Amino acid sequence: MTTVAHRGGGYVARPTPSGLVDVVDLILDKGLVIDVYVRVSLVGIELLTIDARIVVASVDTYLRFAEAVNRLDLAQGKEETLPELLQDMQEGGAKHKTKGALEGVKDTVSDVADRIRGRKDEDEDDEDEEEEEEEIDDEDEGQEEEDEEEPEEQPRRRRAPAARRRRER
Amino acid sequence: MNGATTSAQAEDQACYVYGVVPDAAPKPADAAPGVGNPPSPVTLIHHGEVAALVSEIDPEAPLGSPDDLRAHAEVLDTAAKRGPVLPFRFGGVVRDAQAVTDELLDPFEERFAAALEDLDGRAQFAVRGAYRQGRILQEILADRPEIADLNARTKALPEEAGRYERIRLGEMVAQEMAARSAADSRALLERLAPLAVATSDGAPAADLAVDASFLVDPGRREEFEAAVEELAGVWAGRIDLRLLGPLAPYDFVTGLIERTVEAS
Repeated sequence: MTTVAHRGGGYVARPTPSGLVDVVDLILDKGLVIDVYVRVSLVGIELLTIDARIVVASVDTYLRFAEAVNRLDLAQGKEETLPELLQDMQEGGAKHKTKGALEGVKDTVSDVADRIRGRKDEDEDDEDEEEEEEEIDDEDEGQEEEDEEEPEEQPRRRRAPAARRRRER
Repeated sequence: MNGATTSAQAEDQACYVYGVVPDAAPKPADAAPGVGNPPSPVTLIHHGEVAALVSEIDPEAPLGSPDDLRAHAEVLDTAAKRGPVLPFRFGGVVRDAQAVTDELLDPFEERFAAALEDLDGRAQFAVRGAYRQGRILQEILADRPEIADLNARTKALPEEAGRYERIRLGEMVAQEMAARSAADSRALLERLAPLAVATSDGAPAADLAVDASFLVDPGRREEFEAAVEELAGVWAGRIDLRLLGPLAPYDFVTGLIERTVEAS
């Protein structure tokens, strides 16, 4: 996590700089859309956005909650905040190439109940994405830490139409 | 624009646009690097009453690493701390500085200037909070006997046999959590919205208890921050509240521009 600065021993955390998840939530899909203003000289670029890992009310989510609540009085000392719990489900936020002139960002972000997660190694290629099958039924309590469900969605690669347009001209 | 094709093909630099500030805005600090790898310094392109915050980038290099996202936010939030700024959405690239002047600043100067004037001094604050897992689950078990019963039953069952009961249990927990998040979000808005000029809130994402943004007048900033601190105290141990800001008005800029269009 990021550095969290508590001011004057208060209860509210004021992280500076904001953590990546907060930054992504703040800026993606927000702000003035430049192609509303600039039409002729707009340059399409390739945007790698961090894949929005969608947390839907799914069986897996429910099983995680059930596990957490089952475990509750066994592990009183260990208090995770919910993001940590859910992060287990969301690990593997795949690199996601999307189109340039802004709509692509919207595509990935506007889904309901989405959460955006980035891993530190975003810069690297995603060939090493494991294709592990999730087998929650057979999951041992003991190996739970290593077991991360992988995103079913493969990273999609798209090239910005604006970029293409520019080349063809 | 006749030369656009050839020059664009030959160019290996393009102009990334962060946002628009008043002409009198201070020059961006050298310490704030822009997007791209390696990042170029952020500069201002002045035109009339307004100026664009830009930096050069290689249009062929993909953009969107965590550093790029942070740089975009950092440039805008730094500008927001010094004065009004209209943030553009991440990823806006224009051919060159001349095009920024000709196609962005010149035709829309009045509109940008009016929105900046409207904004003067106000900044966005985002308030987000996550539940403490153990605490919220205990709360749910204590308040909902049927969930506690189902919990006790599934615990006693072997893994295979209890699958559907556990899915049901998890579903009930998730629904209860969503209901609590809705109630806590209402409480947050009731407390903070009266202290803000504008409020932006949607349903908090699945892993957040509360998530809302506020546009705050400089004169009420202290009061607003104190109210957030007070809420964080009330929720201590239950919701970890964090306050982001002052930020560029990401959630409010579109509304500001639309308002100035309607007014003119």
